Amino acid sequence: MTGWEGFLHGLATVTQPGVLVYCVFGVVLGTFVGVLPGIGAMATISLLLPITYYLSPEAALIMLAGVYYGSQYGGAVASILLRLPGTPQSAVTTFDGYPLARQGRAGVALFTSMSASFLGSMFGIGVLVALSGVLSHAATAFGAADYAAMMILGLVAASTIGATAPAKGLAMVVLGLILGCIGTDVNSGTQRFTFGQTELSDGINLVALAMGLFGVSEVIGNIRTAERTGVPPKVRLRELLPRREDLARLPFPALRGATMGSFFGALPGTGSTISSFLSYAFERRVSRSPERFGTGAIEGIAAPEAANNAAAITAFVPTLTLGIPGDPIMALMLGALVIHGVQPGPMMLEARPEMFWGLVASFGIGNLLLLILNLPLIGIWVSMLRIPFRWLYPAILIFVCLGVYSVRASVFDIFAVAGIGLAGYALSLARFNPGLLLLGFVLGPLIETNLRRALLVSRGDPMVFLERPISAVFVLATAGLIALSLAGVLRRARQKT
Amino acid sequence: MTLTRRAALMGAAALALGTSALPVLAEGWPDQPLHVFVGFPAGSSPDLLARIITEPLAAKLGQPIVIENKPGAGGVIGVQQMLHAKAAGTAFGTTINGPMTTAPRLTPDLGYDVAKDIAPVALIATSPLVLAVAADSPAEDLAGFIALAKAEPEAVAYGSVGKGSGAHLTAELFSDRAGVEMLHVPYTSYAEVTTAIIGHEIDAGFMAPSAALQYVAAGKMRILGVTSVKPFPQTPEVPVMAGHAGLPADFRAELWNAFIAPAGTPPEVVSALNAEINVILADPAVQQKLIDMGWQAAGGTPETLATRITEDTAIWGAVLDRIDAKP
Amino acid sequence: MRHDLQDLAGGVILTLIGLAVAGYAVASYDLGSLRRMGPGFFPTALGVGLAGLGAVIALSAWGRGARTLTLAWKETLAVLTSIAVFAAGLERMGLVGVTFGAVLIATLAAPDRRIAWRLALALVITALSVLVFHFGLKMTAPLWPVGFGTGAQ
Repeated sequence: MTGWEGFLHGLATVTQPGVLVYCVFGVVLGTFVGVLPGIGAMATISLLLPITYYLSPEAALIMLAGVYYGSQYGGAVASILLRLPGTPQSAVTTFDGYPLARQGRAGVALFTSMSASFLGSMFGIGVLVALSGVLSHAATAFGAADYAAMMILGLVAASTIGATAPAKGLAMVVLGLILGCIGTDVNSGTQRFTFGQTELSDGINLVALAMGLFGVSEVIGNIRTAERTGVPPKVRLRELLPRREDLARLPFPALRGATMGSFFGALPGTGSTISSFLSYAFERRVSRSPERFGTGAIEGIAAPEAANNAAAITAFVPTLTLGIPGDPIMALMLGALVIHGVQPGPMMLEARPEMFWGLVASFGIGNLLLLILNLPLIGIWVSMLRIPFRWLYPAILIFVCLGVYSVRASVFDIFAVAGIGLAGYALSLARFNPGLLLLGFVLGPLIETNLRRALLVSRGDPMVFLERPISAVFVLATAGLIALSLAGVLRRARQKT
Repeated sequence: MTLTRRAALMGAAALALGTSALPVLAEGWPDQPLHVFVGFPAGSSPDLLARIITEPLAAKLGQPIVIENKPGAGGVIGVQQMLHAKAAGTAFGTTINGPMTTAPRLTPDLGYDVAKDIAPVALIATSPLVLAVAADSPAEDLAGFIALAKAEPEAVAYGSVGKGSGAHLTAELFSDRAGVEMLHVPYTSYAEVTTAIIGHEIDAGFMAPSAALQYVAAGKMRILGVTSVKPFPQTPEVPVMAGHAGLPADFRAELWNAFIAPAGTPPEVVSALNAEINVILADPAVQQKLIDMGWQAAGGTPETLATRITEDTAIWGAVLDRIDAKP
Repeated sequence: MRHDLQDLAGGVILTLIGLAVAGYAVASYDLGSLRRMGPGFFPTALGVGLAGLGAVIALSAWGRGARTLTLAWKETLAVLTSIAVFAAGLERMGLVGVTFGAVLIATLAAPDRRIAWRLALALVITALSVLVFHFGLKMTAPLWPVGFGTGAQ
């Protein structure tokens, strides 16, 4: 079956009323929990899991997937309005979305994020349909050395994001890498930096880290200032809509982001995180006015949002054909399949075509629904900013606590939010970028294990990084990027003298 | 499809209600909802296993059972939280073998003593491990594999799901008994190990049968042997390792999953639960569900489980000694 | 001479963290070799790197003018206490009591400290979180103090 035939079969599956209704339910619920700070797709899907017993496997998977990508639309809303990213990939959206919202242009930021997400998803679906056969082999071609080299490129590219001093950006990445070391070392089983706390043996909880760094520190910093600046004036409809120059800045960054996202998403691991950071860094580099980035650039929202949505789509390929989930949410969805006796694996495409293509077609329908649902809601989300902050922030705090608790029912993680929140506030006072810390934290363990694994498998030969063609390309790209940055620094230094 | 599934579920529930083996307990236990702690996240294999047992169990006891997922530290956190709950008669747990056998050696600050703090209730299910290689591996069979590994130390690299995991310890037990020296490459999940085998990053790996079977069906991997004493129902044609290719006749490595209670739980509660769980495990529908997930229903008395814990602690303790002695 | 105190302090703190991490890793974990990197290799390298970056940040802050800084210490205290109380109480006091209390503590930092709206807000948020988390998401944490009614633990 070719991709297009499969896709048409899939459409037939999704448009059955008994399946379509769960698709609608999934995306609506996903949007809702994505907007609420604290609870995200993770908690929702794990609590929906028992219900899926009573659904057909197709309906169950389509509903859960709807919650997953629906929450990404909703998550962008919280990132833009409140600087509260639910996931590491939507952390990038705060860089330019939040400044735009503070300039009273929240509506434009939301419009950009939603339409870029839609474009990215459609692009991802197109890639999936055209290349489904090739994509499932991409992952086995990647070895440990290739992963290590790819992620190092990602880190180096991203650490130039920090608009101010590069040393401060790099320091945040390194601090994130150090925090990522906490927990059980995969290779030796050693408990590192756990200081006798069993709760730390699987590392710091990612949700606790994201909520503490962004949510809690933002609340602390805003209680006084938000009241002083007062309620924002009522926005007129015209200001909700993008201007012509905003629209002109949207398509190409979104397209570039979607391309990058589709590629990285097809690789198992953290495809969507790395792709949103990389596409942001790339946009900033190709932009004629990079100084606008971080102050509310449309491109800085469009590219990463398109990238992470495209990646979320193509990421279903390694998840379903190799059983390697890109994040804990994907792992949950694998669990849902196993409940129904569907083992993800290489036979998935051939053995369960109706399920695979039904899912792909549901992405198309679901994203269309999300766009139709969310565009009219922009006005409502923006009016949320008119709620006095003193009513809003206690609710945010409680929902953050409960959301973190619902991930693994651990009280320890709530205490961790308080500690991380304090650190996050200190970082924001000193103008460090917490997003880069988060990136380092997510990629650190992957870099370390893959680096060590590559050297183990090569029996200690470091040349493995240059001998493998994929890895060699990434190593050369990293070297080129560093050379470019150094040249830039030198040029500026010469201009000064 | 939906209809028949639902009908089957309802049928099973009705059947379960009808055949209760619950002896009358003096104090009317259970008079409130039970909490079963599972040290793994919702949707994981141990969680699904726990739900297969607790669903009919709740119907028989006439009280809801709340599954408390407390994931972390290879299942240790679930056990810790069960003991922390301190409500005798309402807090129970299911656990895999690790927290009961190897955790005292591998986890600092474990916070519990298996012999003193745990009351074994019943063994739920066991699973062997299979030795898998890529379909185009030069090793034709188990003897060929051992010959390949004997060529020189670390000629063969194998993957596991982390140091001290069942996959790692089984491979080390195998190396010891077969007299070979293999290179250990840790991964974090069986899916990563199978991908690495197919991509020829490593040569082999011991893994749960369910992780390997699809790849075997797709013609991408082969299974050389199974570590249980008897052939595994899902793979009847794969030879057992014990007594083959120079391995001793008592070679055995099995993962298991068990129902436990905190020590101090009234003995009549333990024996009542044990009786119910044995009835549930005797149900052919439950057995089939377990087999579909790669598990084999076990059962037996609390003492069976206690013996199993002692035996396995000794076996894996010896393997850990050997690993620690390595440079 | 004026200095950028935030960057100066930030740089020095990062340097200290880096040195502490590297020192602890060297003392506690095996460094290993290139072929078999031990658990201490990566943290040591990162700690040294962070210390270096911290030094660069601190040095470049020397002699550079700074922004004025307002420290929201009262807000910090109220927010962190509120979260800590929530964490400590959730599995003992139950969702209702702990949410109510945490909201009252968190609102201590608000510019308007009158009790009436704070009580009303606490009531609304408590109702919302019970509705969403207890009934909607079937969270297993107890609703009421443990020992009364049917607490979880």
